Amino acid sequence: MLLALRDVGKTWLIKRTGERVVALQSISLDVQAGEFLIFLGPSGCGKSTLLQIIAGLEAPSSGEIRFPQARGHAKLTSMVFQDYALFPWRTVLGNVVFGPEVRHVARAEREVAARRLIELVNLTGAEHRYPHELSGGMRQRVALARALANDPQILLFDEPLAALDAQTRRVLQDELLRIWRETGKTFVYVTHSLQEAVLLGSRIVLMTASPGRIKRIVDVPLARPRHVTGRQEAAILDQLDGLLGDEVTQAMAL
Amino acid sequence: MTASHLRQLASVVGLLVLWQLLVQTGKLSELFLPAPLSVLASMWEMTRSGQLPWAVLVSLNRVLQGFVYGAAAGIVLGLLAGAVGWIEDVLDPWVAAVYPIPKSALFPLFLLWFGLGDASKIATIAIGVLFLVLVNTITGVRSISPVLLKAARDLGATRIQIFTKVILPGALPNIFTGLRLGAGMALILVFITEIEATKAGLGFLLWEAFQLLDTRKVFAGVVTFGLLGVATTWLLQWLERVGCPWLQRSN
Repeated sequence: MLLALRDVGKTWLIKRTGERVVALQSISLDVQAGEFLIFLGPSGCGKSTLLQIIAGLEAPSSGEIRFPQARGHAKLTSMVFQDYALFPWRTVLGNVVFGPEVRHVARAEREVAARRLIELVNLTGAEHRYPHELSGGMRQRVALARALANDPQILLFDEPLAALDAQTRRVLQDELLRIWRETGKTFVYVTHSLQEAVLLGSRIVLMTASPGRIKRIVDVPLARPRHVTGRQEAAILDQLDGLLGDEVTQAMAL
Repeated sequence: MTASHLRQLASVVGLLVLWQLLVQTGKLSELFLPAPLSVLASMWEMTRSGQLPWAVLVSLNRVLQGFVYGAAAGIVLGLLAGAVGWIEDVLDPWVAAVYPIPKSALFPLFLLWFGLGDASKIATIAIGVLFLVLVNTITGVRSISPVLLKAARDLGATRIQIFTKVILPGALPNIFTGLRLGAGMALILVFITEIEATKAGLGFLLWEAFQLLDTRKVFAGVVTFGLLGVATTWLLQWLERVGCPWLQRSN
């Protein structure tokens, strides 16, 4: 087990009204090494907040997060953001070396490693371009390489493909699976897309809407490559669709 | 050269020729509008005598010192105010109070405090530059997307590294805007501070020529100020290209 969430909760205080909003409630979950775990839920179910808590960017209001295999201060997680969050003043190479650079890895060493990662995400030749000179799909590849550069045990994805067109999304889904296989890393992936969840995940954690709780955990034991039109895939899609439908109706009623 | 360029060139040359002809045929008085060629001749004369280069040197020295002090203070305070909440709280009322004051109105005070020498002029220019750079730097820091700060933190950057590697470069485009505005302000202020209580500088030369009704010299001074303005703009644009290479258009 790589990561253990125990009874994690998050409450936001809305300053203007003094209202308390429960975003997450009693989330308990073990993340296994090497799995492709999906958090699936309607908008506003707190799945992005959960990712930020795992990343250490937000503190939970209750419960705890443990990394049982943590050694010293090694960086355990790295995040890939939905809107890429690339530094516009750094080239592709400059973005990818950012993590090792702030951790004082020697220049030559970090650049060699960065070039390898740029090759892994199929961006060789674009090292010296700035983010605004790249397409959305290329930017997300840079973000992925940048996250990998810190050699984390767990990669956290916050709806990384949501802003891309359907075609590019399809290509990048395959790329993500390939990189997941090649690196052997653990992927924790947030999405609101059923198809994406079924295409990618080895386990799907279905979330309820406000407050965000775990509704069901669905194993997806299907071989890859998967197709949304496949018979077994369709069965899981149907199952998820029914479960998720209730949640969306509930979320809209609020 | 495109048609647009040709029209621009024709506009400038045409007006200058018309102006020259109007003066030569006596339709315009040299006292009010000296002919372009006599202005040029006057500038050449003043350059050969060393009068104009010396005046430019004296003024540039004041502009440069005031600009560097003001810009440095503006950038440092702006970055700190943008990044640290309580520093902003401490600065904010002063910025709000002093920013709207025409900085030339402070010159008499600085004369009183720093005397008739260069210090009072440099201080006036520095204050003028400082506020423009400060306000733009704060805007620049605020314009940085919070998700970039989050990404930097996620990648392991310390507070100081976030400051030097995210906030500073993120604010740089706005800092350059402040510097450009500040350079214009510096030229305005050097002229105003050189009208009174000095015996050297381009502003002094221009104002003295006006008092002697030597209109050709006044024009020579105006043109020289214009050239200085163009030169500083070019210099800052070049600095910005070097400092912010990511702002180039991709084509």
